[in-house]
Amino acid sequence: MKKFLALFLALVLCLSAVSAFADDLKVAMITDYGDITDQSFNQTTYEAAKAWSEANGVEFLYYKPASDSDQDRISSIEKAIDEGYNTIIMPGYAFGPAIQAVAPDYDDVTFIALDVGEGDIGDLAANVPANLYCAVYQEELCGYMAGYAAVKLGYKKLGFLGGMAVPAVVRYGYGFVQGADAAAADLGLTDVEIKYVYGNQFYGDADITAYMDTWYANGTEVVFACGGGIFTSAGEAASKVGMKVIGVDVDQAATIDGLYGEGITVTSAMKGLAATVNAELNALKDGSFVGGKVENLGLVGEDPDANFVQIAPSTQYADGFTAEDYAALVAKMFNGEITVSNDITAEPAVTAVAVDYQGNIK
Amino acid sequence: MESPYAIEMLNITKRFPGIIANDNITLQLKKGEIHALLGENGAGKSTLMSVLFGLYQAEEGTIKKDGEVVKINDPNDANALGIGMVHQHFKLVECFTVLDNIIMGVEPVGPMGFLRKKEAREKVIALSKKYGLDVDPDAKIEDITVGMQQRTEILKMLYRDNEILIFDEPTAVLTPQEIDELMQIMRNLAAEGKSILFISHKLAEIMAVADRCTVLRKGKYIGTVNTKDVTMEELSAMMVGRNVNFHVEKKPATPGDTVLEVRHMTVASKTHSNNAVKDASFKVRRGEIVCIAGIDGNGQSELVYGLTGLEPLTKGEIVLDGKDITKASIRKRSTSGMSHIPEDRHKHGLVLDYSLEYNMILQTYFESAFTDKIGFLRRKNIRNFSDKLIEQYDVRSGQGSITSARSMSGGNQQKAIIARELDKQPEVLVAVQPTRGLDVGAIEYIHKQLVAQRDAGKAVLLISLELDEVMDVPDRILVMYEGEIVGELDPKKTTQEELGLYMAGAKRDEVKA
Amino acid sequence: MKKLLKREGVQAFLASIICILLGLLIGYVVLLLINPNGATESIVKLVQNFFVSKRANLRLKNFGNTLTKTIPLIMCSLSILFSYKVGLFNIGAAGQYVAGACACLYAALGWGWGWLPCMLFAMVIAAVYGAIVGVLKAYCNVNEVISGIMLNWIGLYTANTILSSVKETASPYTLYLDKENPSALLPNIGLDKLFNNSTVTIAVPMALIIAIVVSIVLNKTRIGYELRATGINKNAAKYAGMAENRNIIMTLAISGALAGLGASMLYQTGYMRWECTQSSVPAMGFNGIAAAFLGGLSPIGTIFSSFFIQHITDGGSNVNTNFYSSQISDVISSVIIYLCGFVLFIKLTINKMISRSDEKKGAKN
Repeated sequence: MKKFLALFLALVLCLSAVSAFADDLKVAMITDYGDITDQSFNQTTYEAAKAWSEANGVEFLYYKPASDSDQDRISSIEKAIDEGYNTIIMPGYAFGPAIQAVAPDYDDVTFIALDVGEGDIGDLAANVPANLYCAVYQEELCGYMAGYAAVKLGYKKLGFLGGMAVPAVVRYGYGFVQGADAAAADLGLTDVEIKYVYGNQFYGDADITAYMDTWYANGTEVVFACGGGIFTSAGEAASKVGMKVIGVDVDQAATIDGLYGEGITVTSAMKGLAATVNAELNALKDGSFVGGKVENLGLVGEDPDANFVQIAPSTQYADGFTAEDYAALVAKMFNGEITVSNDITAEPAVTAVAVDYQGNIK
Repeated sequence: MESPYAIEMLNITKRFPGIIANDNITLQLKKGEIHALLGENGAGKSTLMSVLFGLYQAEEGTIKKDGEVVKINDPNDANALGIGMVHQHFKLVECFTVLDNIIMGVEPVGPMGFLRKKEAREKVIALSKKYGLDVDPDAKIEDITVGMQQRTEILKMLYRDNEILIFDEPTAVLTPQEIDELMQIMRNLAAEGKSILFISHKLAEIMAVADRCTVLRKGKYIGTVNTKDVTMEELSAMMVGRNVNFHVEKKPATPGDTVLEVRHMTVASKTHSNNAVKDASFKVRRGEIVCIAGIDGNGQSELVYGLTGLEPLTKGEIVLDGKDITKASIRKRSTSGMSHIPEDRHKHGLVLDYSLEYNMILQTYFESAFTDKIGFLRRKNIRNFSDKLIEQYDVRSGQGSITSARSMSGGNQQKAIIARELDKQPEVLVAVQPTRGLDVGAIEYIHKQLVAQRDAGKAVLLISLELDEVMDVPDRILVMYEGEIVGELDPKKTTQEELGLYMAGAKRDEVKA
Repeated sequence: MKKLLKREGVQAFLASIICILLGLLIGYVVLLLINPNGATESIVKLVQNFFVSKRANLRLKNFGNTLTKTIPLIMCSLSILFSYKVGLFNIGAAGQYVAGACACLYAALGWGWGWLPCMLFAMVIAAVYGAIVGVLKAYCNVNEVISGIMLNWIGLYTANTILSSVKETASPYTLYLDKENPSALLPNIGLDKLFNNSTVTIAVPMALIIAIVVSIVLNKTRIGYELRATGINKNAAKYAGMAENRNIIMTLAISGALAGLGASMLYQTGYMRWECTQSSVPAMGFNGIAAAFLGGLSPIGTIFSSFFIQHITDGGSNVNTNFYSSQISDVISSVIIYLCGFVLFIKLTINKMISRSDEKKGAKN
């Protein structure tokens, strides 16, 4: 065993000798507790970063921590830095404690953290280091769009199935309620109902599916499945009765339709993870990167595709709600005609719809 | 020219790590003869038969059938050559009938896959008439006697038209009367041209039935003799390598007061629904050896289990030295003066993977001599104690106290157990088949130890299946049959024949405890 | 040479080494089959684990990480080993580990206890949990493997339920120990400075000492004598008047205590938090089986085998993800761990080879 160790040490020394490299951009991504095939956060970030790196001839590698713990996330980040990666992309709020531990120690490395807010980075929030850029998203906006679209498309019995009641999920949910309420008011409807529940976990299982079965059996037409893999429960239950779901975070139409039948996904409320990755990497490349802040990303203009919060291009537009209607909605939201509350401390005020808050399934 | 030999094993050598199990052994079985294979346990008889059956491959030597060299790679080859064997432990399906057992594996089948039992039945009845093998083809194995089970095994071989029949220690499970019947059957078979190989270490039987005898000792071939030309003593000397005194020397017993009293003991059986021991009562006094005789499986084991606490009694009492120990734990019985030489030294008597010294303290390890106050073993004391016993009882082993019990010979393992049990200075010694599987020398030694205990004023309860031992060692014989004590005999006044009648259940007295 | 080979300890060591090499070889072949380009680099990096870092302080820190995760593995494999020596297969170690984790975390977060009471509480609860298996075995003749597996699941969901009351509202994880109740964190006794890693604690020397104590108890004490006799030959133990049922219960209680202690030694370092929605029993208890066998069923051996297994598992995250998906690291380390279970088989093969060469030699003479 001793010989082995000696051998490794020798090898390590050799490796370190050759890897003195120029100060080029080298991009590494660390996965959170999920994997790059999660059809959600990790996958979107991974695909965007990899595509950008290939297009720009930049070295790229992703790391998966040895276990789902802060300590191992830190260890993976440091490993990447040790191997010469100077830009670290981290998707997900789970990185909060890891960022607090590493960002101040490595000021020559750029950290790009997605969906990591001020509340996640503790003491750093007061004085965000210049090498750290955090992005959070105004989920209430795209939630609003999805809710608005659903009611305009003629659905009257809506459901919201959240993952856990974390701030991002609650913002999605409350936005969804506000959007549906606004649309119902527009249409002069008084019979729009929303059932609202959290699964208390980010994945679907038999219990949650059973819960969804009851909803659909009692007339629910479309459920906004909001949180990681929890869409499987909503999708499965919907497919049994020919009803619909709404996806989240990324355009989930292909995924959900693929699993549970063509046309089952009405729309998806999306965060612009890929857009953020592209924008920040481009900025790093041309030297315009500005760190030291936690940015709350939302609408940047009237063009729906340029925004960091959207509904998916795969939305099942119809007469009630067309692409043009969507563009008009975005414009109104951008210029302040429509305001959406991001307050998650209290349930949003509604005028037209009836919301049935059912707490947690588990 | 046709060979006079049915099967020949020429210059067979088979080695195992560390030992040569068969060293240049030659065995020639003539057609139509009864040929005995004699040797003590560990002489290499089983290995030789395993080679014949293709279970082992010999490193050297050849096997010939009817004068032609054959290769036997597995038991199927042996069957194809017409070699059949009656094992010591029968290989029968208990819940099948005799006929089903006989035809199993070679069932006559019609074109549609249906059994043709009628043909088979006729063949079996014809065979049993021809050789005088009395069986009921439709009885279930579990309902018939051991003797009939054995006849079923023999019919199995005959049904398969085997020419060479091997009997592995066939008399161990039989009563004297059944043994006589078996001898007659063997003679009939030989007269009909079957060749018989008869494995045994019982000299009287060999002298009675065999034409020739091949003797093995410690893996070596000693010789082949015509039984007509030798005496039993000569055969015995060939087997053991020296002259042996068959008779146990002992003074007349002077029994004292009762040490162990058993009243109406009833013990449940683990194998069937009947009670294995039914209402047995007896006493053992100081200064006497009482032997419980009987054919294997008549409740002796369960009687011992009940006595020593391994199994609970369903009824009855046990009194040791005036104290009721019916409900006492095993340890309590052990510490109140009961020693137990168990029937199966590997199962109960020893922890084989422990060293000899650790086995020597198996029941006393907790005493202050061997464990200190904190709970650590006093290894020095244990070593001294073990060395003392090894010396005193002449237990031989490779490395003394630290030898693994597993690596010791059966005789020395038994000596170690006896040393341990006797050193406890028991009031009553329960010795169950203490000489099983041992060579003559070790048997002699153990018998002497039992007598010495008796002479020291202790009570000895001996449980034995060996007729010679039953007749020679004890001062009183109690015969057990189907869980009951059916007779009390005085070994000086009774005969083997009378004992046999009791053992077979043909005769019984009312025995008063 | 042959004399040396015949020695039990040498054989055990050799068998373990052969298993390790065989596992690495198969892992390497798997990598080659998937993508030959990165195979050599990846397998070397996997074996290097923390040595891969260029910075000395990082190496130390990652060494500390591996060490911290090795500790519960040592304890779990001691738990398995202890029962195994007594002839019981304590697959329920995983559940006892869960019971321990639940107990110490709840005591720390719910009741605000200090580190030592938390640790002792974990030990006691896990011992009780193990004793349940023992009671079922001793008095109802329920096979310990079956009841162990059942109790693993019962334990997991009970722990999830109980610990949900001390979890963060916005995540499925229990609260941070260092924020809620730093007094429940195990003392570092200076090791944090040595390793530049706050999770290296008193657990490290404690586990080593416990391994030695287990070794002494098994080999030098009356209890060990009795328990091992029961394990090797239950019938002989009964014949010798040993209290079989009491021994079974006591053994499983001690096994449980060891596993529970292991959980406390991980969760009370703050390295891990309990995920209240996890739906599989932590692998620690099962990896303990492999570690126990790889360690030649010797308490001291398990120290090294546990470290090796954790080393390989952690090293798995070094596999180059440009060539292989990250799951491959689990495959490789699983292959290696799986092969660790073949130690007894390899030992048998060694013995067969020795005896065959003996036979040949005998034939020549």
